[in-house]
Amino acid sequence: MVRVSATGNNPEYVNARVRARRAKLFSDEDYRKLVRMGPDEIARFMEETAYESAINALGSRHSGVDLIEYALNRNMAQNFDDLLRWSGGETYDRIASYLRKFDAWNVKTVFRGLYSGAAAEEIETDLINAGEFDDRFLERLANAGTIEDAVELLDGTIFGASLPAAFEEYEASGVLVPLENAVDRAFFENLLGDISGSDEPTRLYVEFLQAEIDFRNVRNALRLARTGADMDPSEYYIGGGQLFTAAELSQLVGGRDQLVAHIRDSKYGDELSDALDEIEEVDSLIGFEHALDHALLDYSRELSNRFPNSICPVLAYVLAKEREVENVRAVARGKEAGLTEEEVNEELVIA
Amino acid sequence: MKLRLFGRNYEVYANMIENSFDIALVAERLTNIVLQEGGLQGDPQPGITTDGATAIGIGLAAIGAGYAERGIGAAAVGALAEDSISTGIGIVMTVLPETLVIFALVALFV
Repeated sequence: MVRVSATGNNPEYVNARVRARRAKLFSDEDYRKLVRMGPDEIARFMEETAYESAINALGSRHSGVDLIEYALNRNMAQNFDDLLRWSGGETYDRIASYLRKFDAWNVKTVFRGLYSGAAAEEIETDLINAGEFDDRFLERLANAGTIEDAVELLDGTIFGASLPAAFEEYEASGVLVPLENAVDRAFFENLLGDISGSDEPTRLYVEFLQAEIDFRNVRNALRLARTGADMDPSEYYIGGGQLFTAAELSQLVGGRDQLVAHIRDSKYGDELSDALDEIEEVDSLIGFEHALDHALLDYSRELSNRFPNSICPVLAYVLAKEREVENVRAVARGKEAGLTEEEVNEELVIA
Repeated sequence: MKLRLFGRNYEVYANMIENSFDIALVAERLTNIVLQEGGLQGDPQPGITTDGATAIGIGLAAIGAGYAERGIGAAAVGALAEDSISTGIGIVMTVLPETLVIFALVALFV
């Protein structure tokens, strides 16, 4: 593993702070209140919580749902920066390489923005400044102009190696999927490839990452099985998980029932049984994906309780925070679009 | 010299045996120091007195307590920084392992 941090390992300190922050995330009750509010009320409610400084900083420039969204993103970036600021040694290295997730997110956002011809400014506001890329690099990415230039800029980052090939594919087919896949795959493979050591915390860390990869594969597989598109499923496969091999996945995508049975027999069978019931009975993909998210949150929380001094509580917090941001955004957007309380409730995933 | 007896790894085995001899030697010398007789002058006394052994025991206990407090202190400061516990609880938690040293002090009085 590449050593980045020069200070000592301090999982105790980081864990204590993370657990305190986790306790301050929105609870069931907060969501019940939020669902009944309009966008402006939500913004006011957030002003009294951990989002205070973000709302105050952005309040003069934006309003309504935009304000909520930017405040959420800013607060999330701030929180994850804090994680890095607190940690040292191995803890820092692992958090930093996990937070590259947001680099991947940003790269994908830039690609999508450039693809749809959005202005650089619009792209920039949608970026989450929580990963390894600094402000200036993100600005240059957003201002790249064409996807080809963006790919060129990314040369030398962890995404650099696989992007040129994906770009050729993109040019041939005209869809973004190959590029986005290349980014995801580069992220996860880099993450798992970086790990050394075989002690208990490391083992749990690997287990956590495998679970995330597996869940992502499950989601992709079911989406493919559902659409019945004749795309090659192994193209979507992310290596490193335990649930499927690429060959198994290609086979299983053919029949949904087979796929569900395979997942039910795996080690995630218990965690995912609710989600699987959902897809078997009501055949709702959105319901299934939410159940999947819920299962991942539960699983990550379980892992973080198994060995308190591992990195898992931090990663579980990252997931929970991301989920909170998505939830609040869903509430705000949903209310803006005039959805009823029940409809908004269905969009929420509350661990 | 070839030790066919140990097969292909004879060198490794030979090294291990040599090392264990070394350890045995050191252990024997250490025992000699601890149980040292007073030499030829008479008045036999062990190299380490009862008080000395007690002091070593207390010192080791203190090292253990210090190691435990390192983690707890870091966690307590972390929780304090997030305002999730009071300073009093933080201090109490941090010094809990100190009881180990107090127990070790018992050895001084028996």
